[in-house]
Amino acid sequence: MIVQLIVRRLFFLVFVLLGLSLITFVLSHVVPRDPARIIAGPRASPEAVEKIRKEYGLDQPLWRQYVRYLNGLIRFDFGKSLTSRRPVAEDLARYLPATLELALYAMLFAVAVGIPLGVLSAVRRNSLLDLFGRTISILGLSIPSFWLALILQFFLFAQLGLLPDGQRLPVGVREPPRVTGLFTVDALLAGNFSLFLLALKHLLMPSLVLGLAALAIVTRMVRSGMLEVLGQDYIRTARAKGLQPHVVIWRHALKNALLPAVTVIGLQFGLLLGGAVLVEIIFSWPGIGRYAFQAIQNFDYNAVISVTLVIGAAYVLVNLLVDIIYVLLDPRIRVT
Amino acid sequence: MERTGYAPTTRTIRTLVERSPRPRTLLDSIRDFLAQSPLNVVGVFLIAVFLFLAAFGSLLAPHDPIQPNVAVKLQPPSSTYWFGTDELGRDILSRVMSGAKYSLGVAFIILSIAVLVGTFVGLIAGYAGGIIDELLMRLTDLFLAFPALVLAMAIAATLGRTLENTVIALTAVYWPWYARLVRGQVLWLKEREFVEAARAIGASPLRILGRHILPNTLAVIIVQLTLDVGYAVLATSGLSFIGLGAQPPTPEWGTMIAGARTFFRQAWWYITFPGLALTLTVLGFNLLGDGLRDFLDPRTRRR
Repeated sequence: MIVQLIVRRLFFLVFVLLGLSLITFVLSHVVPRDPARIIAGPRASPEAVEKIRKEYGLDQPLWRQYVRYLNGLIRFDFGKSLTSRRPVAEDLARYLPATLELALYAMLFAVAVGIPLGVLSAVRRNSLLDLFGRTISILGLSIPSFWLALILQFFLFAQLGLLPDGQRLPVGVREPPRVTGLFTVDALLAGNFSLFLLALKHLLMPSLVLGLAALAIVTRMVRSGMLEVLGQDYIRTARAKGLQPHVVIWRHALKNALLPAVTVIGLQFGLLLGGAVLVEIIFSWPGIGRYAFQAIQNFDYNAVISVTLVIGAAYVLVNLLVDIIYVLLDPRIRVT
Repeated sequence: MERTGYAPTTRTIRTLVERSPRPRTLLDSIRDFLAQSPLNVVGVFLIAVFLFLAAFGSLLAPHDPIQPNVAVKLQPPSSTYWFGTDELGRDILSRVMSGAKYSLGVAFIILSIAVLVGTFVGLIAGYAGGIIDELLMRLTDLFLAFPALVLAMAIAATLGRTLENTVIALTAVYWPWYARLVRGQVLWLKEREFVEAARAIGASPLRILGRHILPNTLAVIIVQLTLDVGYAVLATSGLSFIGLGAQPPTPEWGTMIAGARTFFRQAWWYITFPGLALTLTVLGFNLLGDGLRDFLDPRTRRR
């Protein structure tokens, strides 16, 4: 049954990826500027522009161009950046790990704080802690991340000097030897603990800002899930059996309350990838968000659209993973 | 009336009549809603303030929000300039007041179109079922496969950097959510007895959808809509912040924060007030949306 479900989801994945490529392809063709002209530069002669049009296949019928585009995508060929002239795939490979590391830590923050906060909020309903939890879960969704980022930068960097204002490592510090591209992991793998701490310090502010909205949603989901579960009979039974309250709450109740939250938490990861754009710009974080931003500034559509495609694909993959985890966690689905 | 099966006595009829309240008006509902939680009052208050600013903010602004006056650049808050001035000497209070109409206006347009298109698609998909449903839903899947901000960014970047294109981009991002939502409701409603009854007496599909199904989906749409205003406001200002939406000198809040970025170390007021306005607007709609959800749907009251 699980296998069947996964196979079905994989089929769907192929379909969605095809659709994604179609949308991005259409986008790249509604561009109001002539791509051949952009590549050739503003002062190129009409002949040179025509030559480039031929060279890049821009004179062929649209469907041929799409097939060509798809053909490239399968081999991770996203075309060349119109400004740097480097293959976009190369740029993406360089910048993606930074974004992933940032999103992972943001997620970690949201889950590590959100789950306990949601549980305690539900268990001590209407207490001061609950008020705090609920405030977080509304305020976290209301504060614009880019504004919060700038405010925190002002206090924690400019005023107090506690945290660095951006970048993954201070200027001049050598990056750890690249294994995963995640600096904290690579530093540990290299056995360099102080470098690990340094990278962590740089991650702290950006991941906190990025994770706040996710924290709000996780807290809310866990709280409402717990409230629902705590009112059920088996919890009363567990309590009546004389089980310790913390065992009832953290083992019996949380397990079932988390189930609906898993899907939502998974969706957050995709949203974090999207939200990373704004945060990366402010913290000079060399990820694909900032790359996309710079590409927008330079009218480098190829790069913008490739970033969109990559984030879309990552989003779809994460959601697939979440679905599978959900099935594995929920015994009711397994048997049916 | 535990003695069921007996005809009701005149006494029970009288008590029933006396107890039955007068027909509930909209005002009653609003009063109950506000009484439900102080947070609802806060939400309604915030929204009222910013709607007022969106309508009259530019008229009431004490200074010109666009015209530079370099003689008074980067002044801290004072009795003349309550929120201080920016790097061109423009009054930040006036700019914040005039900015409300961009954020709320854009959110209003985006969500109106998204709701219309989404509801239309959702009604058709849900009611028609079969291949039409399948096609339409796979189409929404495609749009939902992107994180909203990223797709909007790509659309706005390719179409060109104007506020109008931001509207197009965000509309493209939001309509599928409503299509999904409405479809789900329709699927649930169309099997209900009152719809079956309408069908049995020969009501046309159009009438069934318009008179029986659509009104019953409104509550869900309204709750979603209220929550989405906040997201739309944030997304619009976020896109403006990265230079895709409103362009300077438009006093749009996201654009203002982008401008303030360079000066935030010497002029805290420049970045503080547009951000505060943005936060409070979104907060208002989130509070209202949460309150409405609890109010309209008793099943989620505990959440």
